[in-house]
Amino acid sequence: MVATLVFIVILAPWLGALLVWLVGDSRPRTRNTLAVLAGVFAATAAVALLFAAQPFTTDDTVVSIPFGPFIGHLTLVADGLAVYLSIIATVIGTLAIWFSVGYMRGAAQLGRYYALVLLFIGSMCALVLSGNLLFLFLFWEATAFCSYALIAFHNDDPKAVSAGIKALIVTQVGGVGLLIGILIAAAYLPDLQITTLLQESANVPSAVLGVLAFGFLLAAIAKSAQVPLHIWLPDAMEAPTPVSALIHAATMVNAGIYLLARFYPAFAPVPGWTVSIMVVGSLSILLGGLLAMFANDLKRVLAYSTVSQLGYMVAGVGLGALFESNFFLLSHAVYKALLFLCAGAVIHELGTRDMRRMGRLWSKLPQVGWPFLIGAAALMGLPFFNGFWSKELLIEHAAEHGNGFLFVIFVLGAGITAYYTARMTWLVFFAPGRQAVGDQQSTLPKRTHLPISMLAPLVLLAIGVIVAWLPVERFAHRMLLTLPYHATFLISAEQADMLLSTKTVLSLSTAVTLTITALGVLLWWRFSKSRHSDAMSRVGAFADKSEAIFNRAAGQIVTGTQGLASVSQRAQTGQLTWNVVGIFLALVALLGLALWSM
Amino acid sequence: MNSFQVLLLGVIALLGIGLYGVLINRHLIKVVIALQILVKAALLAVIVAGRFTGRVSLAESMGLTIIVIDTIVAVLALALVVQIKQRANNLDSAELAQLKH
Repeated sequence: MVATLVFIVILAPWLGALLVWLVGDSRPRTRNTLAVLAGVFAATAAVALLFAAQPFTTDDTVVSIPFGPFIGHLTLVADGLAVYLSIIATVIGTLAIWFSVGYMRGAAQLGRYYALVLLFIGSMCALVLSGNLLFLFLFWEATAFCSYALIAFHNDDPKAVSAGIKALIVTQVGGVGLLIGILIAAAYLPDLQITTLLQESANVPSAVLGVLAFGFLLAAIAKSAQVPLHIWLPDAMEAPTPVSALIHAATMVNAGIYLLARFYPAFAPVPGWTVSIMVVGSLSILLGGLLAMFANDLKRVLAYSTVSQLGYMVAGVGLGALFESNFFLLSHAVYKALLFLCAGAVIHELGTRDMRRMGRLWSKLPQVGWPFLIGAAALMGLPFFNGFWSKELLIEHAAEHGNGFLFVIFVLGAGITAYYTARMTWLVFFAPGRQAVGDQQSTLPKRTHLPISMLAPLVLLAIGVIVAWLPVERFAHRMLLTLPYHATFLISAEQADMLLSTKTVLSLSTAVTLTITALGVLLWWRFSKSRHSDAMSRVGAFADKSEAIFNRAAGQIVTGTQGLASVSQRAQTGQLTWNVVGIFLALVALLGLALWSM
Repeated sequence: MNSFQVLLLGVIALLGIGLYGVLINRHLIKVVIALQILVKAALLAVIVAGRFTGRVSLAESMGLTIIVIDTIVAVLALALVVQIKQRANNLDSAELAQLKH
């Protein structure tokens, strides 16, 4: 039963991708229906996994296919963490596809688009369900490829293509880190099962485990767009908006958090590892938030906000709050997907992403305004939306475990979040006068009727923002039951029940956070009145400069690599005899090495 | 000198002849022939190793695999040579290297 469901979760999107690709653009209606149906199938199976009645034991392996002595078995494991992330990927994926039906109507080559989105959903589920390191890596790369191909979907736009390549290169830096870690694990462990690594990590020499741990951390930083490798995410906003909602807000960027959480019990003893995670997370919270405060492109604000919110989750993992940070992940996935889809609807109607050219949309687009407002409230962490609970739980954890540094960062981050959320909401929906930017003035749409395929996902996600924290006990219970190695970092259903109640609402840290949030809004109100505030513009200049430094450093690394390639290119003479000499010398060297080491 | 040493000598001799042939020849058909001699050296080495370690059946199956792959390589290489002859009307590897640019 569970095995069948797991197979449906992975194979339904892949099969759908193949069919959609085969149907192509000749029959758009069939193609759209197929794409949505494949998503619905997978989502239903994923939700059913949560409720599937099975006496869960410590070993949750539901599928095991032998792959020879070196690789071990391809196993699929339906434990709490995997089911949690599969549900997010399939449900939000389905809503994004549904939204695309209206949003992408009339665009060319939609067969490719839907096929890639479905391929991504299946790969993401396979990534989290995989119990074997090598297959985890395989699907990790598959998601990176889908991300690249979808960012560059408008492949006649040079900006989109270069953004796609940038995303691919930066995430590959992390992919190399992951590969190095996995190869080291293969050398020191009997097989490549994730459980083996968790079990045997104490027997691996500490220096080797350190390399492994930091390799995985590099992978997580690149994938989850953390400082200093966050530079690909803002550029990735060239992707169609439903793709941004699905891949660059709700799912793929969470793979890094998943990786850290999955291997936390093995790597936590490595000296400096948890501290590095916390530092990276804190820097991302602050820098991402700072950049979001001054960006004028609506999607870029959301992208920087994603960097900042992902920083919360990363820092949360470093704190050892695995349940809290995964709860944050769920909440963020829902409200950020909602905000992105709302932004998509606005962009669809106005044809611009510049917030300075928006404003006064509330009366024109109330059906988008209300969901956006709900999402913004959750992003700010206003009670009692899901963003409130997840943020408060994390802050509470930091306070309880006496981590004053992270507590301050988290609360400060809440203030920054409030500032840019208030600014964004105001500029898009309420600002009275739109400034003319560039030569053309955008025209306000007439009161329009959005197609049902765009409206329904917004409404469903808005409902999700309000209620998604309710079934959290079930998740807590499931995770505690199925993750024996993580048990000490998780909480029981009773504890979750207790936390999601008046205890958190009435705690001191909640009061502090809400005060800082209110201060953030007030600060924005104060500075929006005085147009050119010196202090604020100086902060903005600092944020821009730091972003430019990161981008320039990345550019120099790319140029350097190209220079190295053009030098080493000379080794390829094209002369057959020289190649044979090279092969012969390498053989002699290898044989000599083998004899010498014997 | 026992039979094992004789066979080993044969392997080394074939290896040397093949390598020499690949190194000094620029005519592509001669290179293919030299490559074939090299592969035969490897084949003989596998069989000798099988006899030496007593795992004859493993060596035999490996040997058969090598023969099959070797044949495919030879066929493909000769097909390429024919194509090159038709297109470039030249079989000198050093001169063909200029095609790179």
